[in-house]
Amino acid sequence: MKKLNTIASALLVAGLAGLSGCSSMGVEPWERDIMAKDEMQLTSDPLEAAIDDHIYFSKEASSGGRGFGGGGCGCN
Amino acid sequence: MSRKKSKSVAATLTTATCALLGTTSTTPVNAQEEDEWELDTALLYYNEDGNRVQDISFKMLANRNFIDDRVLSLSLGVDSLTGATPIGAIPFAGPQTFTSPSGNQVRTAPPGEIPLDPSFLDTRVALTANWQQPLGRLSSFNAGLSASSEYDYLHLGANFKLSRDFNKRNTTVSLGLAFAADELDPVGGAPTPLTPMLDVDDLSNRMGNQNKDVMDVVLGVSQIINQNLIMQFNYSFSSSDGYLNDPYKIVSLVDPVTGDPVPRIPTPGVDGPSHEYRFESRPGERTKHSLFGQAKYYMNGKVLDASYRYMTDDWDIDSHTVDVRFRWPIGDRSYLEPHFRYYTQTHANFYRTSLDSSLPLPPHASADYRLGEFDAITLGLKYGWKTESGNEWSARLEAYSADGSVPANLLIGSNQGGLEMYPDLDAIIAQFSYSFGW
Repeated sequence: MKKLNTIASALLVAGLAGLSGCSSMGVEPWERDIMAKDEMQLTSDPLEAAIDDHIYFSKEASSGGRGFGGGGCGCN
Repeated sequence: MSRKKSKSVAATLTTATCALLGTTSTTPVNAQEEDEWELDTALLYYNEDGNRVQDISFKMLANRNFIDDRVLSLSLGVDSLTGATPIGAIPFAGPQTFTSPSGNQVRTAPPGEIPLDPSFLDTRVALTANWQQPLGRLSSFNAGLSASSEYDYLHLGANFKLSRDFNKRNTTVSLGLAFAADELDPVGGAPTPLTPMLDVDDLSNRMGNQNKDVMDVVLGVSQIINQNLIMQFNYSFSSSDGYLNDPYKIVSLVDPVTGDPVPRIPTPGVDGPSHEYRFESRPGERTKHSLFGQAKYYMNGKVLDASYRYMTDDWDIDSHTVDVRFRWPIGDRSYLEPHFRYYTQTHANFYRTSLDSSLPLPPHASADYRLGEFDAITLGLKYGWKTESGNEWSARLEAYSADGSVPANLLIGSNQGGLEMYPDLDAIIAQFSYSFGW
């Protein structure tokens, strides 16, 4: 329970900081040339990310984070 | 997906530029560019040292982009798995005989080695379908279905995601939900947890098919910080309930003084286990929480991609994962990408490498090495190059190495201290990919 409270507090702080800070960050629409590049997408190679998630899901006790970590395999 | 995004932005920029210049946008060309399939394909070879698991698989992801940012994504994966995997029994100075999962024969593990089940053989086919649909100018909705089938396992799942952009599209907030209903149909039937491994052809402790349900929630924020830096933060909640055991894993029952497996005599005339083993027992529920943060930073053509994940669950497993990739362009059309990943986890509160035969059995116990305490490092290198027509080839080679240890308080008796109790793992991952438009 203590762990959950810590996580909840961290999320709250991050959320408040995010809400107040986000509006002053960022770029204008005509400054997005770099962000539009393939290699700057948050998941630039979705197939490789899915392969890695599956390997690590089968060998470790953690899964997800980037996306859903659910079931789908008898390997764990 | 990513190629689509860049095209979509390029199309938007073209339209905007045309509007500024007072000319007409070239709509037919844009429509033609949008309406096409983009395919990512990959061949994967995964191999663990010591004749353990080997996987050869083919994966494909196809995206069809329609006008108005609607996207249909379909994926297919076929895995062919062979090899051996640790069954949970401790190593011992003498030979150990086990009944196979099907219950119709016995196998003997050599003295001094961590016992493996060599009958690991499976083919897995996985399919997903996803539809992305804009909702007004700033929001989008995503819905998907997933299914996978193995010899002894069936998965059916559905997922939904809602995203909304804020701050001139510099901030994106998303909420995702996923549900999975899985069915286990283990060879010989799922064993009743904590019951003994029995003689050949005695399936009296098998329960038949079992179910497992999983629900996932992901709350995410991504933020463009400046022209070169984008960050993402996710909180994930995952709840599983049902039969969460690995039906093929057992735990050794040991003598409290020596720590050696307790001998067992099979019924006369019948083959059976040489020692006392109990099928593992995990709790019927598990709740996980994860925090994930990622930053991508562009530096004159080079891209640094760094992420961190913290996970904690109600089985007392805590884990930390750091993943760093650095994309280094070589000329205009190729790049090198080194990859480093570090992972560490604590053991589950019911992780036991063996059980003291003089004490009553605990309600839950598992010797599965994946629930133990270990660190793992991945080192890899990827090389990618683009053809003149814009298709991309890439090849990567990675080494994964996991080293675990069994805490001293989990060792029983005088003989276990000198044994290699944890099955360390070394694996290589080789992948060859090709992406093309169609």
